Amino acid sequence: MTRKEEAMNRERFAELLAAYGADFRRWPAETRADAATFAAQDAEASALIAEARELDSLLDEARSMPTPSADLAERILASAPRMQRPSFDRRAVLALAACAVFGVVIGYSGGLLAPPAVAEDDGYFSMAFEAPTAFEDEG
Amino acid sequence: MIDPDGELVRNAGAGDQRAAEALVRRHLPKMVGVARRMLNDGAEAEDVAQEVFLRVWREAPRWQPGQAKFETWMHRVALNLCYDRLRRRREKTDPDAGLAVADSRPLASEEWLARQRAAKVHEALAKLPDRQRAAIALVHFDELSNIAAAEILEISVEALESLLARGRRALKAALAGVAQDLLGGAEGGAP
Repeated sequence: MTRKEEAMNRERFAELLAAYGADFRRWPAETRADAATFAAQDAEASALIAEARELDSLLDEARSMPTPSADLAERILASAPRMQRPSFDRRAVLALAACAVFGVVIGYSGGLLAPPAVAEDDGYFSMAFEAPTAFEDEG
Repeated sequence: MIDPDGELVRNAGAGDQRAAEALVRRHLPKMVGVARRMLNDGAEAEDVAQEVFLRVWREAPRWQPGQAKFETWMHRVALNLCYDRLRRRREKTDPDAGLAVADSRPLASEEWLARQRAAKVHEALAKLPDRQRAAIALVHFDELSNIAAAEILEISVEALESLLARGRRALKAALAGVAQDLLGGAEGGAP
């Protein structure tokens, strides 16, 4: 007989039965095997167990519970923390928008500042077809 | 100690709705159940469960795995909310308020008997001192281990066993003869 089995005597068995009832699954894990062994060997154990089982059965009559309201879980979840949109997303959108605006502005202002292409071409044409007056003077 | 809820709590705290849903699925029935057994009132039990989860959402972003498991902490919150309500109830009303009253209407005999017995048990449970009722709710109905129940109640296992034994003894006295009485009553009154 081990020390653990020695520790399970009628007094301790009755204490555990009084606290946890007749179902050994509710007993402290370390006592279950010893309790089963003791119950199988002790002449009075079965009467004690039957007495405890009577109360267990009555308690089990009150085990079932009405189903909670259908919307209770929804109400609870509605108050749960929400994922915040990552801030880089908004920055990226803003940056893209800024780029687009900047591009439009640059494009527009570049068009205004650049010299008119037609006037420049006209100048080259006039230089090309102008009479070479300087050569005439030298000669 | 690895907390089975640790990751869910962290994610729910960061706003992950799926994690929040999983926490609700896992723990809402237990919270409603323990509150119902403590308060013997369905609507109040749901209010308590909702309040527990409000505190869960508030704590989740800064939850640090520590000495107690998250479920233990939730049970403690639920029980403390119940104790507060029971205290206020006692201050305001008579001690039998909120007790389930045995239904005297005739029903089919099996159903009638079951309801009567359940009502008597609820009534006897409601009359127990709060801590004894909490111990029985956690160990008998929620089937938590003695260690988990003792942690929730913040007492030693020996003290838990004492609460359980006193509670069961009181219930046994209160319910003595219930089954026999009801059987006799059913023969004489219920159809």
